Amino acid sequence: MKRIKLNFTVNGEKISIEVKPYETLLETLRERLCLTGAKEACGLGACGSCTVILDSVPVRSCLVLSPEVEGREVTTVEGLSKDGALHPLQEAFMEKGAVQCGFCTSGMILTAKALLDRQNKPSKSQIVKTISSNVCRCTGYKKIIEAVTTAAEKMEVT
Amino acid sequence: MILSEFEYRRPKTIKKALQLYQSKTEDAVYLLGGTDLIPRIKERLVKPALVIDLKGIAGLDKIEHSRSWLKIGANVTLYELRNHPLVRDAFPALHDSLEATSCETLQMRGTIGGNVLQDTRCLFYNKSDEWRKAKGFCFKMGGQVCNAVKGAKTCFANYASDNAPALITLHAEVKLVGIDGERQIPLEAIFSGKSDLPFAIKSGEIISHILIPVKNTRGGYLKIRVRDSMDYPLVGVAVSLVNGKGGVAIGAIGGKPLWFDFSENEVGWGERIAREATDIVRPVANTVLSPAYRKKMTGILVKRIARKLSEEDR
Repeated sequence: MKRIKLNFTVNGEKISIEVKPYETLLETLRERLCLTGAKEACGLGACGSCTVILDSVPVRSCLVLSPEVEGREVTTVEGLSKDGALHPLQEAFMEKGAVQCGFCTSGMILTAKALLDRQNKPSKSQIVKTISSNVCRCTGYKKIIEAVTTAAEKMEVT
Repeated sequence: MILSEFEYRRPKTIKKALQLYQSKTEDAVYLLGGTDLIPRIKERLVKPALVIDLKGIAGLDKIEHSRSWLKIGANVTLYELRNHPLVRDAFPALHDSLEATSCETLQMRGTIGGNVLQDTRCLFYNKSDEWRKAKGFCFKMGGQVCNAVKGAKTCFANYASDNAPALITLHAEVKLVGIDGERQIPLEAIFSGKSDLPFAIKSGEIISHILIPVKNTRGGYLKIRVRDSMDYPLVGVAVSLVNGKGGVAIGAIGGKPLWFDFSENEVGWGERIAREATDIVRPVANTVLSPAYRKKMTGILVKRIARKLSEEDR
């Protein structure tokens, strides 16, 4: 089948590649661009482990067709650190021990980042509601909520 | 999971989209948010030759507000609609149903047009290709049996939209655009009543807009689900009161929402409709909750909303 030319931005870098029309954004990121931060678990949009940020909106990359992102901007977990310094969310996840097996972590962090980008100092109930889009089978969410709260406070100070 | 092979097109006008559909007829599907369609393609429940992405069509992502109608483009996301001030203030049943749909991330992707036109679901249908081949195809897959109810002569899959029941209680209408022109019909008229082929709209027709008459309403929406964070309804109840007239719609049991009318002055309408609805719904063993429980909860949800509304009155 004829491939589709695709131009989009990933983590600030302009990318120009050819993709299959029936390829998901998750496959393009992982298999063509070697950005393996986004993980595939359910593959059906239920778990959130493949979450990336499309423009400013968190999306399940397993449900997005690659041709749909023409001209748009994708942020993956690899794009969060700046000049070698981790994003406050990444630091808070380490500090609070919000990572166990790590499979949900990149999705959790990106869902939380999109929240902190659109809302200054979200309440605990808002944080719980937002990250309930993502499934974690290890931590019981307590540490993750603590980490997002800490990061929100830190980001407000800086 | 891997998608089956298809072509992808992103037309800029509805006219072009309709023409593309005509070129492939039965093998083409329309795509908006994809939260229902993409999993269905992955599970090979649908094997399109052509996916027509409607997100490139200008105007379908707008909410327009006139004196008499709130006109919602099919491509408006559930999240955007949920945060619209008029929806929040004047249409509580719809607002509650949007908030109860799936999870925040999927609300940001899923669209109102897609939510209304989502396919019916069944524990024995929304499964992988391998699973279904091993079990044998049911009515909804083109077979001759129902895998949920032994000996049944028909399909019992459930229409699991949270928003459609709420929209029905608000007397919403849909604007359909097809190759023969446009038409506007009540939302409840799009349903065929059959679980295996739930929609009675013409092949290739596109819902371009959903229109709600602008009136101040009171109401609510409640649903039963297994995971509160994100799940389809296993029964959902919407109630709206518009100018003294009330409507109750029951969703997620059977192929289309059921609805009941009442007058606000009727004493004990909650009890009456709870009784009638419980009596009329026919849940079967095709979800993770038992039919008896879903039947009982139908009436209880009606009564809960009725109680909430009468407490607001005081």
